Amino acid sequence: MERGERTGLAIAVAGHIVLFGLLSVGFLSTPNPEKLKVTPIDISLVKDVALEAASPNPNEQAAQSIAPEEGLPEDAAPPEPVEAEPEPQPAPPPPAPQPKPQPQPKPQPKPEPAKPQPRPEPKPQPKPQPKPAEKPQPQPKPQPKPKPAPAKPAPAKPVREAKPAPAAPAKPSPAARPSTAKPSTPARGSGQSQTATTAKPRGSRLGDNFLKGLSPDPSPSKSEAAPAAKMGAQQLANIASAIQRQVQPCANRQVTPGPGAEKIRVAINLHINRDGSLASEPRVVGHTGVDGENDRYVDRVDALAIATFKGCSPLRGLPQELYDIPNGWRNITLRYKLPG
Amino acid sequence: MNPVFNMDAASLSPVALFIHADWVVKFVMIGLLLASIWTWAIIVAFSRKLARTKKGMTRFERDFWKAEDIDAFHRMEQDNELPSARVFSAGVQEWRRSTAGGHIDRDGTRERLATAMGSAVAGEIDKLSDRLNVLATVGSVAPFVGLFGTVWGIMRSFTGIAQAQNTSLAVVAPGISEALFATAIGLFAAIPAVIAYNRFSHGVNRVEASLNRFADGFHTTLSRQLDQAR
Repeated sequence: MERGERTGLAIAVAGHIVLFGLLSVGFLSTPNPEKLKVTPIDISLVKDVALEAASPNPNEQAAQSIAPEEGLPEDAAPPEPVEAEPEPQPAPPPPAPQPKPQPQPKPQPKPEPAKPQPRPEPKPQPKPQPKPAEKPQPQPKPQPKPKPAPAKPAPAKPVREAKPAPAAPAKPSPAARPSTAKPSTPARGSGQSQTATTAKPRGSRLGDNFLKGLSPDPSPSKSEAAPAAKMGAQQLANIASAIQRQVQPCANRQVTPGPGAEKIRVAINLHINRDGSLASEPRVVGHTGVDGENDRYVDRVDALAIATFKGCSPLRGLPQELYDIPNGWRNITLRYKLPG
Repeated sequence: MNPVFNMDAASLSPVALFIHADWVVKFVMIGLLLASIWTWAIIVAFSRKLARTKKGMTRFERDFWKAEDIDAFHRMEQDNELPSARVFSAGVQEWRRSTAGGHIDRDGTRERLATAMGSAVAGEIDKLSDRLNVLATVGSVAPFVGLFGTVWGIMRSFTGIAQAQNTSLAVVAPGISEALFATAIGLFAAIPAVIAYNRFSHGVNRVEASLNRFADGFHTTLSRQLDQAR
């Protein structure tokens, strides 16, 4: 090697080092690689077939809710026992507890004056009023007497509102008792028979508007089964959007294989485990949008669709109660379309 | 400009591209880089030598035609390394050998003078154009070597696609970028080599033509002297 070549070699080495050093520190590098990134692309997931409500036995109309049977209206009609009052009151020991409520009925007289006003029974009114003041206990007889009077309106109201009989007497009692600690006892104490009294403890638990919103017409349905969780359009849209949100990153990575390929819609069937993982390879079950121009990309788009769902599984956050029902997401068919 | 080594795949840093590459591609890159360095070394050395030679030859021929006494001029320029000086020296030595004896064969002497100086010209040109074959080789082969590295790297990238089960650009792009870097280095080495080869070939041809003209002129002078010799 001549002296001149040695000089040239030194110059060349120095030049290369300088050049590659400049390139290494970014002298010619792209100013902002972020600008080169592709903008996010869109994927649309559409259910292949719109699903309707899929309750096992869908009810067009809910069965009419009926208050618990507490006895026939006839039982509640006390007038008959009232007529026989004198006999049971002295004779049966059960009436013994009844007297206790009787002191409370003393306040009842207050309602009584209201009711009697429309009614033409002057006798009961004067009797109870003086009695509470003087002797509560010794006068059991007059008390039962006024009771028949409040009991009478009860049968009348059921007739109007079609309510069970016991509910009706309950109404006046809460309205009329400002101070009573035992609201139910006086109602029981009405001249009804003993059996009826023990069998109807629940009547007063119902609100007075428990029939609100129900039509008087009897429902044609006989089903009393609770409606199952069903896959409606709303739930379906939620699941589809949840799946779409999770596979979007994978879909954004797919590259359109050629012009026209984005028109192809692939119906893809997923078998999903309960934990969201794929139970089997996604299966292509059909295509739409295939024409002579893009049919050569069909296989490629199929592969992209499968890769998209495989790449972004397991799917999280799908509603568990909609998993194992008919048309649930255990086996769901989605329509996949390439972005673009 | 931030003087920090940018090692991510998106940069154009040769170091990053080299580090990420396959070992075959690395080998190709190293070879091409050495070829590029050698090419530039030759370019620098040869251009300087060619310019010096042309300048020296111009000065030597001007001095030669001015010189009164060829023997004195030969003694003065005996150690000159210039091609024209070598050719002149070869002619003078052949002249002395041919005219040493009593009898002079004019035709034979002319033939021997022409042969001696022609062979000296060819020898000088060979010596001058010694490194040009390196430039020619690098210029013609480096692109193919770089292409080999690129093909290998792209094959490796596609293998990566098959392994990743993913055709996204993020999987393919780094490998292809590294692979293409091999071709870039190949072209980086080949383009200067081809340009320099053409340019230096032209320069060597001109030197050769100039030497031949000088040899012809000297031969003419000697031939005239031969006619006058008794």
